[in-house]
Amino acid sequence: MKCEWIRENIVLHVYGELADDARHELEQHVARCADCAAELKAEQDFHALMAQDRAQEPSANLVAASRMRLQEALETAQQGGWWTRLAFDPANWLRQVRFSPALASAILILGFAGGMGTTYRIYGTRIQGPVIQTGERPAANEASIAGIDSITPVPGTDQVSIKYNTVLTEEKRGSLNDQQIQQLLLYAARNYNNSGVRVDSVDLLAQRSGDLQVREALIYALQNDTNPGVRLKSLNALGNYVKGDTNVRDAVLRALLNDSNQGVRIEALRLIEPVKADGSVRGVLMALAAKDQSQYIKSQARTLLAQLPEID
Amino acid sequence: MAGQGRQISDRRVDDTMLIREAQHGNRAAFEELVRHYDQAVLRLALHLTGTEHDAQDVYQDAFLKAYKNIGSFRFECSFYTWIYRIVTNLCLDHLRKRNVRKEDAPVVKDADGGEYDLLDQVADGRPGANPERDLMRRQLGARIARALEKLTPRERMVFELKHYHGLKLRTVGEILHTTEETAKNTLFRATQKLRGQLADVR
Repeated sequence: MKCEWIRENIVLHVYGELADDARHELEQHVARCADCAAELKAEQDFHALMAQDRAQEPSANLVAASRMRLQEALETAQQGGWWTRLAFDPANWLRQVRFSPALASAILILGFAGGMGTTYRIYGTRIQGPVIQTGERPAANEASIAGIDSITPVPGTDQVSIKYNTVLTEEKRGSLNDQQIQQLLLYAARNYNNSGVRVDSVDLLAQRSGDLQVREALIYALQNDTNPGVRLKSLNALGNYVKGDTNVRDAVLRALLNDSNQGVRIEALRLIEPVKADGSVRGVLMALAAKDQSQYIKSQARTLLAQLPEID
Repeated sequence: MAGQGRQISDRRVDDTMLIREAQHGNRAAFEELVRHYDQAVLRLALHLTGTEHDAQDVYQDAFLKAYKNIGSFRFECSFYTWIYRIVTNLCLDHLRKRNVRKEDAPVVKDADGGEYDLLDQVADGRPGANPERDLMRRQLGARIARALEKLTPRERMVFELKHYHGLKLRTVGEILHTTEETAKNTLFRATQKLRGQLADVR
């Protein structure tokens, strides 16, 4: 019995999970019992073998990519109300009801009364037309926007006119400084349905690229938009921030390395020229100078590198 | 030691404030909370699922679920336990589905009939790598990975949380909605099975 107990607890001993008195008892027994000492040795060997295999740390790129993907999803995610809490943790509700007969009775009575009330409403007021709401309609939030039809700047003013669909197409007119106009533009920049709308919105957002949220939307468009025209416009809009914003610089470098469109890559190369001395930029230039498929980019990268002082 | 204790306590106060803010719909507070835990979550998901793609899916689903349901968090356990509970449930689902499919790695059989993973044979071309030691490490890793695959999802999860993440069995029990005693028994079964599988590896 003693040896059986020891064998069941050796693994806990090796993982430091044994209480002090039990550990003492185990050590005393192992000192006297050869079989259990062998078992302890085998478990320790196994532990040492497993210790050679470590869980891999996620790379910085994976962490960053996961965070970005989550941020995008959170933009449209809604937090649950009390009913979601009930759905998420029904066991807790049931526990509360089980321990509160008064609450259980109250729920039963309310349910009964609610059922009676509903029946009365259905049969009591049978003829009823559609309900018409009056008053100003609340502003559409992102989740209720079905699509964006057009974006038209009013010439000579800072006014913009945006047509977007909810259930019906609506129109919002306002200044570029208007928060709702800005939200609609940011939404439009990520709208996959109509590239014309995306080009127009990126064009207007370019005027507000000092705003961090706008820059994030432009970076997103540069990295993900399927239309090279939209990517090129986003790139140009970000141009002034290559020096000051490292996120912008990284995005431009990624475009330079990976974009499928030659025009976008050449523009990216032009934009990083003022920061060519930066370590990450130098690394990218060296890679391009060594083995880029485009002769033009290869020679331009070599020219830029030649202008840099040598590193000892 | 006292400094470390204060750090943990500061983090807890910090988390409490962030949770309350997030419960009032403050997304920035929730994102800050995510940054406190997401590397550990990703590490767990990466080791359990085996691919970055699946790990990212678990990460995404876990934090979205946490965001949608943070209103139901009532401080009865730590946020750490709560988020791990969500992640481990998602990982368990993943492991159960995988056990049904079993079509993962490009596994082939060698001359002795033993299975090995083709990807384990790909050399590490990074400068400074010791190819011989590296190959041995990868082969050992592959053997261990195959032995872990033989565990039931629950045994795998207990072993993972204890061995690779160093959690106390009491916490493991809390996360998996079970008792410390059950977690101990499960760990015992898992190590017995692994020892059997890896008996010839030294």
